[in-house]
This record gives sequence, C-alpha cells and structure tokens, in this order.
Amino acid sequence: MNIDRFAKKQKTASLKDKGPVTMGKFILVVCLLFFVLCPLRSQSKLTYELHVGATGKVAVLDTFPEHYAAEKVNIKVLSTKYKVQGLDSLDFVFADSPIAGIEAWGDSVFHYTDSEKVAWTVWRKRALPKNRSQKVLAGNAYDAFEEYLHQTVDVHRSLGWIWLVFAGLLLAAGIVYACVIVIQRRKEKNLTAVEQETLRRKRMGMRRHYGSQLYLWLLLLVLYAPIALIAVYSFTGSKILGNWTGFSLDLYANLFTGKADAGLNSAIWYTVVIALIAAFCSTILGTLAAIGIYNMRARQRKVVSLLNSVPMINPDIITGISLFLLFVALSLSQGLATVCIAHVVFCTPYVVLSVLPRLSRMNPNTYEAALDLGATPAQALRMVMLPELWPGMLSGFILALTLSVDDFGVTFFTKGSGGLETLSTFIYSDARKGGLTPELRPLFTIILLVMLTALIIINIRDKKQQNQ
Amino acid sequence: MTKLVQIFSSRRTWAWPYVLFMALFVVLPLILVGYYAFTDIDGQFTLRNFAKFFGHSEAIQTFLYSVMIAVLNTLICLVIGYPAAYIMAQEDFRTPKVMAMLFILPMWINFLLRTVATVELFNMCGLPLGEGALLFGLCYDYLPFMIYPIYNTLQKMDNSLVEAAQDLGANRWTCFWKIIVPLSMPGVYSGVVMVFMPTVSTFAIAELLTHNNIKLFGSLIQDYITTTDLLNYGAVLSLLLLVIIGLTSFFGEHDSTGGEKGGLV
Repeated sequence: MNIDRFAKKQKTASLKDKGPVTMGKFILVVCLLFFVLCPLRSQSKLTYELHVGATGKVAVLDTFPEHYAAEKVNIKVLSTKYKVQGLDSLDFVFADSPIAGIEAWGDSVFHYTDSEKVAWTVWRKRALPKNRSQKVLAGNAYDAFEEYLHQTVDVHRSLGWIWLVFAGLLLAAGIVYACVIVIQRRKEKNLTAVEQETLRRKRMGMRRHYGSQLYLWLLLLVLYAPIALIAVYSFTGSKILGNWTGFSLDLYANLFTGKADAGLNSAIWYTVVIALIAAFCSTILGTLAAIGIYNMRARQRKVVSLLNSVPMINPDIITGISLFLLFVALSLSQGLATVCIAHVVFCTPYVVLSVLPRLSRMNPNTYEAALDLGATPAQALRMVMLPELWPGMLSGFILALTLSVDDFGVTFFTKGSGGLETLSTFIYSDARKGGLTPELRPLFTIILLVMLTALIIINIRDKKQQNQ
Repeated sequence: MTKLVQIFSSRRTWAWPYVLFMALFVVLPLILVGYYAFTDIDGQFTLRNFAKFFGHSEAIQTFLYSVMIAVLNTLICLVIGYPAAYIMAQEDFRTPKVMAMLFILPMWINFLLRTVATVELFNMCGLPLGEGALLFGLCYDYLPFMIYPIYNTLQKMDNSLVEAAQDLGANRWTCFWKIIVPLSMPGVYSGVVMVFMPTVSTFAIAELLTHNNIKLFGSLIQDYITTTDLLNYGAVLSLLLLVIIGLTSFFGEHDSTGGEKGGLV
C-alpha cells in the first residue's frame, strides 16, 4: 500500500516537472485576455460614439411618450402602441427592449418596419450590418435617451474582430506547439526503443493531465463570463449594462448612501428580513421535527420522511402555485406573512436533513440519562441535546438562508400585489420593464467577492490542517 | 399537567407541529391543485378544463416543446458535466475541493441577473437570441446540479475495482464503459432528475433569454394562473406538470436528490 502511494506520488511529481506544458497555460491566458478585452472593447477605435449635440434625425419609441415632454429637445416622440413605419430616414432611434414591451404590448410581436422584427434601445442603422436583427443595448428607452443627452454614449459594434484575434492566437499557439513536438522528436531519435516508449507514455499522461485541466478551466471561463460582465460594469456610472462611460465608483457610492432606487432598497431590506424569519422558524421547526422523526417507529418514520421530501422534489413553480391556490381558497391577503410561510415550507426539509445525521451520531441514551438524573425535558434539551445538535442546526440555518435569498418562483406566486418585492422578483420586474437598476451590479459584485474571500479562507485553513 | 409533561417527554411527539404544518401547507395545497382542476369558477364539478386543454393545440405544442427542451438541456448538461466530474474525481487531481466550490460559486449570484448578463453577452458577441441562447442559458444555470452528484458518486467509488479491471487486461476505454459508468449511474440519475425537473418547469429564464419569442410551459401556467378567470385552466396545466414531476422523481428514486442538493452549500 505504501509502495503504491509512493509510486503515485512519483507519477504526479514527474507530471509536474517539464515539457511543452506551458502551452496549455498560454492558451488559458489567451482565453482570459479575450474575456477581459470583451467588455472593454468599447474604448477601442472601432466604436461609434454619439456626442452631445450630434446631428441627425432622432426618434423615440416609448410606451410613455409624455415622459419626454419636459426635455426641451427637438425629437420625434412616437408611441409604441402603433405600428410605426418609415424609420429608414432616421439616424437614431431610441426604443425599449422587447422584454420591456411585454407588459405594454401583450404578446403581439411589435414591428417597427415591415421587414424586420426588431426592438432596439439605441440604434444607429449605418453602424449595423444589414439583415441582422440586432439589439444594441438592453434597456429602457428613457435611460438611453437621457444618456444620449447628457453624456457620451457609444454604440457597440459586432465583435467580429475579437473573434479573429482569438482564433489567430489559438492558431499561433497550435503552430508553436507542433514545432516544439517536432524538435523534441528529432532529439529523441538516438534513444533506445525502451526509452522512447517510456517517454511516449509520460507524454501521453501529461497530455491527458493538462488537457483535462484545460477543459475544466474553459468551462469555468464560460460559466464566469456573464458574472465578469456584471463585475466589470459595476465600475462605471452608466445606467445601461453594456455601455462603458469611464471608470467611476458612483454606483457603489449610491448603493451605500441609499441614493439608489427606493424599490431596490426596500427589496434588499425585505429579502434580508424574510430570509432571517424563514431561516429562524424553519431551524426551530426542523430541529424539533428531526428529533421526533428520529424517535419514531420505522413505518411512521417512512411516511414522515416521504412527506419531508415532497417540497424538495416539487419545483418552485408547483410549490408557488399550490400555495397561491391555498391562499386564494382561504381568501388570505398575500404579503409578507404568506411569503414567510412559503419560505418556511421549502426550507424546513433541508434543516431536517442536516440535523438528522447529527442525531444518529449522538448517543441516544444521554437524553434519558439526563431525565433520570432529574432534569426536566426542557433542561435536558438545552444542556444535553443542543450542544450535540448545533453544528447541524447551524448548517441547516445557513442553507435555509441561502435558499430563501435565492428563491424566485415561490416568492413570485405568494407575494401578492401589495408591492412587496424581494431581490429576485425586483430583478425580474426590472428586466421586464427594460433595463436593470444599475446599483444591482455593485451589490452582486460585493456578494461575489465576499463569497470568493470565504472560499479562499476555507481553502487556506484546509491546507494548514492537512499540513499539520 | 403531568400528562402534558408526559406527552412532551415522549420525543416522538416533537415532530407533530411539523407534520401538521406540512399537512396544511404542502399536502392540502397539492390537493387544491387537483380540486381547482376539476371545478369551474363557481366551484361546480366539471371536466371542461381538461376538454379545453385537449382542444387547445397551442398548449399541447408548448407542453411538448418544453419537454423536448428539457430533455435536450439534460443531455447537454450530462455530456458537458460528466467529463468535468470525472476529471475532478481523478486521484491525481490536486484541488478537487476548490474546483467544486468554483463551480458552485456562480450560484450565489441571482440567476435572473446572470440571465440578463448572458443576454447582454450574446449581444456583445453578435450572436442572435433564440433557441440557442435559451439552451445556453438553461445549461449555464443547471450545469452545477449535474456535475455535483456525479462527482460525489465518482469520488466515493471503490478505485480497486478499476485497478482490478486494468490488471485483468481491460484497456482504458473498456474500463470506463464497463466499470466506471455503471458505478456512477446513481449520480447520473440524480443529476438528470435535478436538471430535468427545474428545466421543464422553468418560467422566467426563457422569457428573458428569447425576448419572449419562445414560450415554455412554465410561462403558460404563469399566464393562466395569474388571470383570475382562467385560474381553473391554469390548475389543469399545473396538474399535468405535477404528473410529469411525479414520473421523473419515480425514475430517479434510487437516490435521495435532497441530500445531494443539500450538499451544495
């Protein structure tokens, strides 16, 4: 066994030492560069910029034309409720993104022109290739218009050239790699057959090792690309995601000084309150239930466990709808209380599951011993059970918190129409209205950074423990 | 009073509040879905809602389309996720814990926000929004749910079986298909269930990713349920979804999906 382990160590050590492995790292760096460049490309030469006072015929398409009355500019304001034609003669068109149109237009597809199904926030026709349905900036027509008036807005172009650069770099890497291999082969010609075989095997193992590493990192790269977008754009003051207006920390300042949208502030507040209430209630209910279930007879336990798994198997939409129907049937007015109840429903099973393993690890006789020695059940619970159970309860509590904060489906159906919004439902209605509240970007960047730090700390601690 | 104390000192009774709570807020609501499906607005028994569904070709098409998308998404997640889980479970992989955490970390960002960012990314790269974007977004959201259970089973797998197979002359490929894949099936099952079920019932992501051009069954249910007059018809659609969910969870019964999901945090 020890020899085995030693051999494995040797193997991994030999994998590490040398070879054309730097190429894998190079490709990785190229990919990373690509994603860093991606959001910043608007500073490159190829972008189009609309400056204040840019000349050209401008029209605005919006569901609420009256919003533009205060702006003393010569624009053509068109309501989106009608089919608009003849936009070909205009240079700039500001319109809500199609998601924004859902509420206003119902399901009908809106045609700006006869030929194309389009909906653009900022649209400069000349900058766009023909016959390509392009949305340039996701968002709200009014926000885009405001930015157009008060500061520089740059219009994106397609990223075709970046793909080319990317492909070119990959090709270059491939050529260099091939050259290295050819040179190595030449050197090895003088070796014996056995030596060649060992070298070949070693190289196979190495290739497999770095190939798999590359696969994982590429996967992570794709997984993190949208998040990187949010993080990068949290450092600019633009109202629209995807529009870089120079480095600024305004959004962070707004978030912390409460200058952000009032809806966002109350959504954050409600999210925290609901998560705390739900996690607290479900931890107590779940812990008691776990103790009860653990002491049940087999058959009873089976029934209750089945019941416990139902909310976990049910998807959000089913839990949400069934509770919605219950509240309708009971004619309860929906609001904070119903959302809290709903969250307790889907959080508690997880608490039960995180406490149960703790119970089975604990000596079942200690509680009875405490009772025999004259403790009341409450005392025995507090002084004997709780110290054993609290790690399970804590992990259950944290799990419940995260589930509650993350939930969208259940909250959506149980929040009622009283204006209660959690972060998830706030983002949803925001995205439907067109454009996200910009302060969401710094908020989630901070959350991500906190989680990343926690991950690094845990990792370092683990390593230290391993070394000891 | 002493009787009360006796009742409470029997720890079996401590689960009663929970059972009561569950009966009221889990079982009763599910029964209500059935009740509403079989009644009209006035509460009279009727089968008209079901008749309406079978005569409503758009709803049936949407349903079939959603199931197809969910199956496709599950397959894509499996094809992408299995190799990742396999690589992470290899013995010479030095940082499996960090890698697992890195795959889970994106889930801390609200999924709707991530979806909006994905839409923006597609725009930046000049890619059209539509079915491709929908599949990308769904896969992006649910991939960790596939990787994690498979990784768990692969990691717990007894490696001596693989070594035995190699000693007996199996090559890498045979060893993978005859030993590793069958042994990892429980993880695959629970991964499939955990990806398929939320995908078939998803309702907000599709709307954002395709600019409401593609409608999935979840969105259809949402539309009907939130319209007062059509609530009963919405209940029929929910019941249908419930049946699908029931069948899927029966299929994935071998493994406790909850335990795996619980391990995610």
